[in-house]
Amino acid sequence: MNEEVKVVHAYTKDLLVPIIRRVKTYLEEEMKIDVFNCSEIVYPKNIHLKRNTIMIGTSGSIKLIITLGYDDLLLNKLVEIFTHGDNIEDIDTNEVKNSVACEISNTIIGNAINNPIDNSDIYITPPVLVSEAKTLYKDKDSKFVYVSLVTKYGEIQLTAVGPKEQFEDELEFKDI
Amino acid sequence: MLKVLIVDDSLVIRAKMKGFLTKLGHSVIGEAKDGKEAVTMNEKLQPDLITMDISMPVMNGVDALKQIVETCNINHTNIIMITANGQDGIVKDALKIGAKGYILKPISEEKLQDSIGKIFPQYYSEECDVLDENELDDMLS
Repeated sequence: MNEEVKVVHAYTKDLLVPIIRRVKTYLEEEMKIDVFNCSEIVYPKNIHLKRNTIMIGTSGSIKLIITLGYDDLLLNKLVEIFTHGDNIEDIDTNEVKNSVACEISNTIIGNAINNPIDNSDIYITPPVLVSEAKTLYKDKDSKFVYVSLVTKYGEIQLTAVGPKEQFEDELEFKDI
Repeated sequence: MLKVLIVDDSLVIRAKMKGFLTKLGHSVIGEAKDGKEAVTMNEKLQPDLITMDISMPVMNGVDALKQIVETCNINHTNIIMITANGQDGIVKDALKIGAKGYILKPISEEKLQDSIGKIFPQYYSEECDVLDENELDDMLS
């Protein structure tokens, strides 16, 4: 009898580390905001999303949901820098704020996404705003990863949700 | 002066692009929020240039590019793709279909001017660092 061989790809570190690095370089190089600290990567049982959270999915051979959550003060600063010189007076302030959060998240994840499994292209969905704080609870077959990056205006929370076989047992990642 | 149609679901990017294009001396004749609107507005407005985001709801930029190329004279259809996703397959596909250039986000006035200068040499700036096809292939390989 042939036993089914299940090929398990644990690639979360290879996928997430470039995104963490891009969050840092984007803030520092494009926005001139220093990142003081990056937390260790942890596997929580649930995740409390920030009020300003953007969700982006990946498709292709890698399937994950990635979120980037912004503290209010930090997002306000990002909006100020991002829209400097743009003619946006007629647009609702909240719409601008949401649009900037979506655009920055899309740029960070799009720039950093790669495929550590087979080099085929990974597509990302248009960003979706989670407008109010929400708590995500994990199912037995899923896993969460959480890391936060701290600036003087507050933090960015990065999370990834996906099937648990995609995740390494230990990421042991600290250095960015 | 080029007549430009901006296609992007992000209102802040549309505002930013409009500012850059106006500063570069071009006229923004329309703004579309998705690929479907872009196809309709292209037929109606017949712009000299379209800046087309790739990742959009309703119809993405690559599908809109395909539809526009199928219905228009490819030589007169000048589309610059805008994407955050730097994976070469996606960009190469768009260039194969008929896009004349692409910009990797974050966008800037310089990147936009470079791309326009490559398609329309009369708008080439001495300060532009315009890639030829071989350089683009090298960069994407």
